[in-house]
Amino acid sequence: MIRFEGVLKAYGSLEVVKKLDLHVLEGEFLVLIGPSGCGKTTTLKMINRLIEPTSGKILVNGQNIMEMNPVTLRRKIGYVIQQIGLFPNMTIMDNVDLVPRLLGWDREKRINRVYELLELVGMDPEVYANRYPNELSGGQQQRIGVLRALAAGPSIILMDEPFGALDPITRENLQDELKNLQSKLNKTIVFVTHDMDEAMKLADRIAIMKDGEIIQLGSPESILRNPSDDFVLEFIGKHRVNSCELEKVESIMKTNPVTTDPDRKGTEMLALMKRKGVNTVLVVKNDKQLIGVVTIEKLDNKQNLTYKAEYLADTGLPVITAGSPAREAFDLLVSQKLEYLPVVDQNRGLLGLVTRTSMVNALASVVWGEEELS
Amino acid sequence: MSAVFSIALEHLWLSVAGVFLACVIGVPMGIVILKIRVLAGPVMGVIDILQTIPSLAMLALVMFFFGLGNMSLITALFIYALLPVVRNTFIGLTGVKSELLEAGKGMGMTGWQLLWQVQLPIALPVILAGFRVAVVTSIGIATIGTLIGAGGLGEPIWRGIQLVNTPMILSGAVPAALLAIIADYSLGLLEKSVVSRGLQVKNTN
Amino acid sequence: MSPLLDLLLLRWPELLTATWQHIYISLGSVALGALLAVPLGIWLSTREHISRMVLGVVGTIQTIPSLAFFGFVLPILGIGILPAMSVLFLYSLLPILRNTYTGIREVDPALIEAGRGMGMNSRQLLFMVKLPVALPVIMAGIRISTVYIISWTTIAALIGAGGLGDLIWGGMNVYDIWLIVAGTIPAALLALLAGFTLGRLEKTVTPRGLKAGYTSGEGEFNI
Repeated sequence: MIRFEGVLKAYGSLEVVKKLDLHVLEGEFLVLIGPSGCGKTTTLKMINRLIEPTSGKILVNGQNIMEMNPVTLRRKIGYVIQQIGLFPNMTIMDNVDLVPRLLGWDREKRINRVYELLELVGMDPEVYANRYPNELSGGQQQRIGVLRALAAGPSIILMDEPFGALDPITRENLQDELKNLQSKLNKTIVFVTHDMDEAMKLADRIAIMKDGEIIQLGSPESILRNPSDDFVLEFIGKHRVNSCELEKVESIMKTNPVTTDPDRKGTEMLALMKRKGVNTVLVVKNDKQLIGVVTIEKLDNKQNLTYKAEYLADTGLPVITAGSPAREAFDLLVSQKLEYLPVVDQNRGLLGLVTRTSMVNALASVVWGEEELS
Repeated sequence: MSAVFSIALEHLWLSVAGVFLACVIGVPMGIVILKIRVLAGPVMGVIDILQTIPSLAMLALVMFFFGLGNMSLITALFIYALLPVVRNTFIGLTGVKSELLEAGKGMGMTGWQLLWQVQLPIALPVILAGFRVAVVTSIGIATIGTLIGAGGLGEPIWRGIQLVNTPMILSGAVPAALLAIIADYSLGLLEKSVVSRGLQVKNTN
Repeated sequence: MSPLLDLLLLRWPELLTATWQHIYISLGSVALGALLAVPLGIWLSTREHISRMVLGVVGTIQTIPSLAFFGFVLPILGIGILPAMSVLFLYSLLPILRNTYTGIREVDPALIEAGRGMGMNSRQLLFMVKLPVALPVIMAGIRISTVYIISWTTIAALIGAGGLGDLIWGGMNVYDIWLIVAGTIPAALLALLAGFTLGRLEKTVTPRGLKAGYTSGEGEFNI
């Protein structure tokens, strides 16, 4: 639908967009995100030629936009900006039907279109069509801003931080409405934001930009699951922890549980527990395979102190396989009143240990934010 | 009384004629310096300097080129009215918020469509304010037009001053003052009525 | 140009006297105007109802054509400097009054609240917050007034006040363009110089934290 081929934008020697290749698919909601100065807005504005690329090609529906008349191009592409930019001298009606008017639609068709659009967002046309922008609230104004972009039925909409200036509650509402509209209208939307929450909520795909380059491009889930580097990791920040359903048990387990080989005697294990300050040790064979667990209670018996770990280990304890959702570990701990839960691979190879403490820490970081608790 | 009335009418006609010419030339000039921005500085500079020439001197100078009479007065008024008209046109047009221009451009408006449909309507109150200042100023300057042989209400005032004839002074001064006040007031009303409802100051939310 | 030179050589004492008269008539009127308009503007800034009335009256005075105004005072004050300066004084009021009033009214309410919150009384609030912040706007008013009063002072010559208008008016009577020019150029230069100097002063009195904020303006008048 929109294809960037080696697009470069430079101001003098400063390259704000570097050799960008990007293919926006038909009907997709693509979010460009990144810190300020990363080139996301420049990228967006090159699509309707408000900014012209220094080199490279941008194709819209297979047509090179540099070979199109910019005015014709822009009338085919909806455009919404952060400052809303409704014309204060025009009524809502005149604002919304501006592009159809420029395109020479007849009056009746235009009026019908405006009414239809206002109804689409639940604003009564009889009430609002003849009002002026300054008679509406900020949220209502930006609703009109979105409708204005939709008016002539463009298949592509560009949105430049459209909800950035709104209060949080209004912003959420408009995001919901946009999502809703998108599912009904199935437009190709390119959306710029610096708000990760917004990107997560709206995007089919997210392109994370930094210093004029796309660092990572993919669905919200895939970016959360496999951040490509530390920058992305930091950028998505709290979302990694926040999305509990996506969390795997490995991410909350302790990776270096106290282990022992099956030949150790009870006395040695008691000494080990004292040294490490724990009250359980995991018995593993060949440095890897989990046999069972020995608790300090087991060693309270003088006779047991002389036995080898192999015989003392409780082998019937529940384990959880790596790759299971963290939630499952949590359920097991709670339902079986366990203190800990070993995490193993397919071959019962020990990977780590989920304890009540590590579970609480994971929960705490969800509740109170991203700071790492050990 | 009817004599005074016809002199007042003549006064009004002379004042408005100069301003009207200034609008015909000045508004397009404001647009030109908006489009060709490098001209803005020099044009405004020249107009500013013309403005510092005292009105009496302007009349005197114009008289030398155009002789005595109404045409000279209208010429002087035209020159004076240029400043408020050009300046307010330019300021009004440049005062349009950049996001509106970006929105318009982004939606595919051409430069002229933006000018006609967005910039000029939004600048209209400012342009009208310039017109109002120009008209009131012109009514004032027109009173001394009598010194270069133009008609209008200055004539009885000036003759009255020379003859130390108070009633004669007042027969020109009172209508001249009233004319200026009424023009100021009614153009103020016009300004308000012409301004689009959407541009009148209002609290949002 | 030589007729102008001849004229200057022959009549320079007269020119100097006229320039000097012009300066003190115009600057004197504006100074008196500022003396009244600034305190009045401050006083009005907290009194919305009266202020609307006072600004209306002063605004109306402003629209009265100058010759008509001189005509009004002539029967009472006769001719000469006194009636001229009285009229020019009244004309100088509006820009100063309006700028003082709006300058103080438009001081960010947050600043005033902060000042009050820190325990300033209304006098301290005026001198430590409102006036310093409004000063550039007030100065702009004084500048606008000065520039056009210098221009209007030429008309005062018509009621025998003297000044550069005398040369111009004399030149019109004897049909001597060089005499007119000899009166016009100093008058225009005075206006430019006053505008420039006061403009600079305006910038220096602007608190550094406020620079690049306010653009002065409001009204331009001539007669």
